[in-house]
Amino acid sequence: MLLAVKGGTLYPISREPIPDGVLVVEDGKIKAVGPASQVKVPADATVIDARGRHVLPGLVDAHAHVGLWGEHYGQAGSDGNEGSAPVTPDVRAIDAVWTGHTSFADARVGGVTTLQTTPGSGNAIGGEMLVVKTDTVGRTVEDIVLRAPSGMKAALGENVKRYYGQVLKRAPMTRMGAAALIRGALYRARDYQRKLEAAADDPSKLPDTDLGSEALLRVLRREIPLRIHAHRADDIVTAVRLADEFGIDYSIEHCTDGAAIAGFLGSRRARVNLGPTFGYRSKIETRALHFRTAGILDVAGCRVSIITDHPFVNIDFLMMCAAMSCAEGMPEAAALRAVTLTPAETMGVDQRVGSLDAGKDADFALWTAHPFSIRSKPVEVYVEGKLIHQA
Amino acid sequence: MLAIRGGRVLTAAAGGQAVLEGGVVLVDGGKIIAVGGPGLAVPGGATVIDAAGCVVTPGLIDAHSHIGIFEDGLGWEGNDANECTDPNTAEVRALDGINPADTAFAEALLGGVTTVQVGPGSGNVIGGEMLALKCVGTLADEMVLARPTGLKAALGENPKRVYGSQHKRPATRMGSAAVMRGALIKARDYLRKQEAAKDKPDKQPDTDLKQEMIARVLRREIPLRIHAHRADDILTAIRIAEEFSIDISIEHSTEGHKIAEVLAQKGIPCTVGPSIYGRSKQETVDRSSATAGALAKAGVKVALICDHPIIPQQWLRIAAGMAIREGMTEQDALLACTRYPAEVIGVADRVGTLEPGKDADLVIWDGDPFEYLTQARCVLINGTPVHCTCGKPCLDGRCG
Repeated sequence: MLLAVKGGTLYPISREPIPDGVLVVEDGKIKAVGPASQVKVPADATVIDARGRHVLPGLVDAHAHVGLWGEHYGQAGSDGNEGSAPVTPDVRAIDAVWTGHTSFADARVGGVTTLQTTPGSGNAIGGEMLVVKTDTVGRTVEDIVLRAPSGMKAALGENVKRYYGQVLKRAPMTRMGAAALIRGALYRARDYQRKLEAAADDPSKLPDTDLGSEALLRVLRREIPLRIHAHRADDIVTAVRLADEFGIDYSIEHCTDGAAIAGFLGSRRARVNLGPTFGYRSKIETRALHFRTAGILDVAGCRVSIITDHPFVNIDFLMMCAAMSCAEGMPEAAALRAVTLTPAETMGVDQRVGSLDAGKDADFALWTAHPFSIRSKPVEVYVEGKLIHQA
Repeated sequence: MLAIRGGRVLTAAAGGQAVLEGGVVLVDGGKIIAVGGPGLAVPGGATVIDAAGCVVTPGLIDAHSHIGIFEDGLGWEGNDANECTDPNTAEVRALDGINPADTAFAEALLGGVTTVQVGPGSGNVIGGEMLALKCVGTLADEMVLARPTGLKAALGENPKRVYGSQHKRPATRMGSAAVMRGALIKARDYLRKQEAAKDKPDKQPDTDLKQEMIARVLRREIPLRIHAHRADDILTAIRIAEEFSIDISIEHSTEGHKIAEVLAQKGIPCTVGPSIYGRSKQETVDRSSATAGALAKAGVKVALICDHPIIPQQWLRIAAGMAIREGMTEQDALLACTRYPAEVIGVADRVGTLEPGKDADLVIWDGDPFEYLTQARCVLINGTPVHCTCGKPCLDGRCG
């Protein structure tokens, strides 16, 4: 099955935009990308007329709760926080992602084709997250998985201590408590590993299986990062302190106050999943919320992805968040990269998605105008060469 | 005197020229004194702001906001929007809950929003007194443009969630309607007793601030502004309004497009929004930026709203841009955040258009006001610059 998208302006992201570009797709993969003068449209290709259109990779959101909670489903559909204990590394978002959730349809409307959907921040350690595509119609979660697990959720700051400390009157009651719980869980996993190794030659000495420690071992072995919810600058620094103690990979989730410590984060080339920014400052820890933070962190050297944190900003407004970051100082190319290739890299799926390059999945959308115009919207959205949304 | 010269002036005025290319706006004594094309003479001695390449609009107006009353970045401590101790709190006044130091006011100015109607939230069936404010000042009382401008009321999920969860009335939509009807009847009885005792001071009923406030609605001095998302809630609001012959506006109007003809035929103004947020409740499943355009097309007077903080106040222009993307005409979108909200609030004699005699509240934009990448270059309230990207005071000609 050959497709050729022809006549539009292509935004490969990995390089400069191409006016009058050609994108050739074969069996769901990108076969060739380039200017019409260099890339021939195969004679047997089905041609998609993109004249006047702006062709972008499918957008990528590195932090959302799509399929997990939100919308009008109320408690019946609220499956993001296993609030029965503050440390739940054994739970997996994949067991709760509902592909029939309307948020997937919203993702398609907004041109979002890949997203990381994650447990919430009610627990100090919240569970495994995963990366999925958004072509959910008639498909199971297994059908749409791109990477599972793709990270372990952790949280510092107000949410954990409010729920456990204030509401339930139990640990963690403070920021110190939350850090201690994360540290404790990682030590337990390390001890568990030691016991596993000690019993390598004597199965009778094997410890009982501990699914939580098993999950955290993936973090300690750097197979997946710890993705740490942290708004306030001191929480962000605590997150880095914990990561450095254990030599693990991490990303900072939200990073609302990041501009205050841009040098600190930039010198580490921190992976920052920044947002949600189109919204009000509902908590003390979000007081520094501002669209200019994206540009400041980008200039400082951070690897910035712009996130919706759906449902906090609805997923279909991801491009709006990139545009408004641009309005507040982030260069256009960086802002586009922050909703495509950078999040793909942060989630470890950039060999498959995030840019228009030969060999990658043919996930792309045709926008009616430059995507940073409010009048622009995706009118055709494709995943692996298949039309999944048409406006 | 101040002259803003050379911009694309969108007057939002009824009749006359809606767009003046290279227009001139003359301001004196805090008021607009003249608006015209390039030929309008600028008196000698006037300070001139060169607005060439810019777009000049009236200051934007949001008819439904909780700015100052639902404070930014403070959490619980700054939330004074819902006095949820009784489903009818007609006696409370938004003015007593407004903090002018709320940082959202300064941000509202960055977004070109100069006037807002602030009211209590929708936790109660009758929430309290609303008022209109200018977005600048250090004393709430001095920011007031008009008060009261309405009495807040609510149908649908919020009141029945707040009270039903406590096993109190209202626990259903029927209960909310009964509370609303009961409140209006009680105030009517109160008025009757006052009237009966008109010449007998000793028989006067004790002053009841709740009834006094609702009486203003019954006397049609102010409208009841009824939060209603779902079409059936909107129709309940209309049913009650007709029973008591009172004026209303529909607040939110999320499913208004489903009954646009009814709303148009009855001439009921609708505030529409917030449109850019998650569908947090069953009653907001159909929230869409297309609703405003559909209502306007049907002939309904539409005011676009942020419902700050649901959409932060400064992004009213973005809500308008999204409405345009989803089919609203450019002119309808402009009117829906200038003249129409002024009319809906009842302050159109002061604000909402660029016309002689109006307050000199205006915005000089560096491009299309509804685009993401546009910034408000200069914002005036009562002829005084309250925001300017070239620094304060900006009136030295550098602006533009």
